[in-house]
Amino acid sequence: AAGLERPQVVSHAQQALNYTLFDCKWVPRSARLLCLGSAARGSGLLQLYELRGGRLALLREIEKAKPLKCGTFGATSLQQRYFATGDFGGNLNIWNLEAPEIPVYSVKGHKEIINSIDGVGGLGIGEGAPEIVTGSRDGTVKVWDPRQKDTPVANMEPVQGESKRDCWTVAFGNAYNQEERVVCAGYDNGDIKLFDLKTMSLRWETNIKNGVCSVEFDRKDVNMNKLVATSLEGKFHVFDMRTQHPTKGFASVSEKAQKSTIWQVRHLPQNRDIFMTSGGAGSLHLWKYEYPAQRSKKDSEGAEMGVAGSLSLLQNVTLSTQPISSLDWSPDKKGLCVCGAFDQTVRVLIVTKLNKV
Amino acid sequence: MPVRLREERWRQTASAVYLSLPVRGLRVTPANIFCTERYLKVSIPPFLFEAILYAPIDDTNSTAKIENGIIFFTLYKKEAAMWDSLTLANANKEKLQYLRENAVLKAHEKAKEEAEAKKVTKQEHKKYVLEATMRLEEAERRRIEDLKEKERQKVTKELELWKKQQEDAEKQKRVQKEGELLPEAEQLKEKKKEKMNNTRIPNEGTCKPRIKATKGCGSYSMFSENLKEEQLPAPRSAATIKINFTSRVFPTALRESRVAEEEEWLCKQAEARRTISADLSELEDLKEEEKNPDWLKDKGNKMFATGNYLAAVNAYNLAVRLNSKLPLLYLNRAACHLKLRNLHKAIEDSSKALELLTPPVPDKENARVKAYVRRGTAFCQLELYTEGLQDYEAALKIDPKNKNIEKDAEKIRHLIQGTTQDT
Repeated sequence: AAGLERPQVVSHAQQALNYTLFDCKWVPRSARLLCLGSAARGSGLLQLYELRGGRLALLREIEKAKPLKCGTFGATSLQQRYFATGDFGGNLNIWNLEAPEIPVYSVKGHKEIINSIDGVGGLGIGEGAPEIVTGSRDGTVKVWDPRQKDTPVANMEPVQGESKRDCWTVAFGNAYNQEERVVCAGYDNGDIKLFDLKTMSLRWETNIKNGVCSVEFDRKDVNMNKLVATSLEGKFHVFDMRTQHPTKGFASVSEKAQKSTIWQVRHLPQNRDIFMTSGGAGSLHLWKYEYPAQRSKKDSEGAEMGVAGSLSLLQNVTLSTQPISSLDWSPDKKGLCVCGAFDQTVRVLIVTKLNKV
Repeated sequence: MPVRLREERWRQTASAVYLSLPVRGLRVTPANIFCTERYLKVSIPPFLFEAILYAPIDDTNSTAKIENGIIFFTLYKKEAAMWDSLTLANANKEKLQYLRENAVLKAHEKAKEEAEAKKVTKQEHKKYVLEATMRLEEAERRRIEDLKEKERQKVTKELELWKKQQEDAEKQKRVQKEGELLPEAEQLKEKKKEKMNNTRIPNEGTCKPRIKATKGCGSYSMFSENLKEEQLPAPRSAATIKINFTSRVFPTALRESRVAEEEEWLCKQAEARRTISADLSELEDLKEEEKNPDWLKDKGNKMFATGNYLAAVNAYNLAVRLNSKLPLLYLNRAACHLKLRNLHKAIEDSSKALELLTPPVPDKENARVKAYVRRGTAFCQLELYTEGLQDYEAALKIDPKNKNIEKDAEKIRHLIQGTTQDT
């Protein structure tokens, strides 16, 4: 049947948890995954699972003082595999999972909860110094270097007197050589801002009317190619980042997929034109982006303007009745992904036939 | 009275009776023939033939053939026996009647039974069809499930394989590690510990040559991945980028607001500032915007700025006529009058403005300070220094940090003391 030729989302294993799960991440170069969240007693929990047969086996459980909201392996080397987390108290900590009692690096980075974290420069991907960026409810976005204690290396904060807006998501991109790097931040009023860390300036901003839940570049370590931003009310936008027009910014295509909030977007590490969005109704949609015939064209004044491509839905599946708040593809096995939902379940899924797409 | 047909002829065998009945010229249809076990009737009005048979026959299998003006009956006997005669003899009227009725009843029952039997068979057929379709669909579904299951198993197997590969690779690494390269590993670990314990590296620090030593060792083939331990750039020099958020008239974010209602509210506000008093006949000459007090106020402000005080006063006058409730108009007109040295008018306008500016809201503080100051100035220029001082002090109460007002208040105090001394 034609339907069976499309990629299928196969449920491989799932585990019911007894705490609220906020984020889940694969440990690079292994079949292990980390789940982090908030226990009922108000403390933070970090659990390490291993995929064995069709089940998840709990290897280790670490409890911390404050509930944990987000984490990343992005800024650590492959040998060390230190995990950076942001918690509800605004603290950024980097943990060595072999010895998790004392963090390797710790700073009270923000006054309020750290909503989102990203890392770049580690894992053998990209060039330049490893850095971590955190976005918080206090409206600031700060970039940290694990070698520098206490102060961030870059701080994007509102002007004095401006009422602050929650920053809901951050992402690194454009890290194709040692100097270049950009940070993209999405806020709850629909603002998306692109900061260039080399020139320490605001490179582009726009407003997509609804709060931005998640932004991600398709690859962190290449010249910025595409950026996907998802928002409330089921809409997401794909921006073509290769051509910036002086007034119109970047070209984009948008899609309204689900009636509910799109919580996360994650690109497949092995193919940057395929990405998965997870929704507030517990569903996952797998998308493919197709490039237009010409990626840029000249407008009436002769300035280069980008042309957005088109999107096609490859597959969708509903796994839960609660929102799927976190999603991560395994960087080692194509099609293997883990998702965590607010029904306190972590699920490991396999997406088949991605080679044929 | 029907006409009886009596020209039948019959012959028999052990098992059957063959009866032929001529019906010259009559159209016979199967409906005209009625036959039960013991009674046979052919009725073609006005003709009638009936026979009470000698012995019962099997009426379901018996046949009647209609042909060329003769009906051939083939009646199969129930019991194989030779009949003495076709019909029963000495059948009296009552018996006949009774037999007839019986026959009819029997026929009815039979018909009913047949109908029932038909219904039952129909139902069974339907059931059968339904079951067959269900079976087919079930088969289809199962087929798809099987395909899916096969996929899953295949994928699971691949995953297990991959996992094993990972584990094997790791084991190998570990073995190698524990083997020859233990001392070097320790060295590396120490160097790393050092790095960690380093406190604040200065912002403009140069690249520390930390990992150069390991490169010299050269035996790190156990790490098959790319060792990115080349020179890492120094931490970035700290900087701050200030940002602004998209402004909105209302403090709530777009998602929490109701755009339509907000627009309505804003429109109404603008409307409220225009007047609907189009009674004034002179106003018909004016253009739309000239009827807008806000626009007129702006015009007045511009003219004040350029020094054209009379024109400014005119603008404000018109604005006041349109909407007499805007304190700012009076305030600005007071300023104009001050410049024009129409001191009494200035006092009047400032007073009106102050009137309109009660209740004392913190928002309007600015305006009230200005009103007090202007009135105070006017009083002083009229040499009514005590009243002027009162106003200045009121202004100071609202805005104690304003140096100018303080200075002026001081001056007035001196002036008052000066005059009281004189007199």
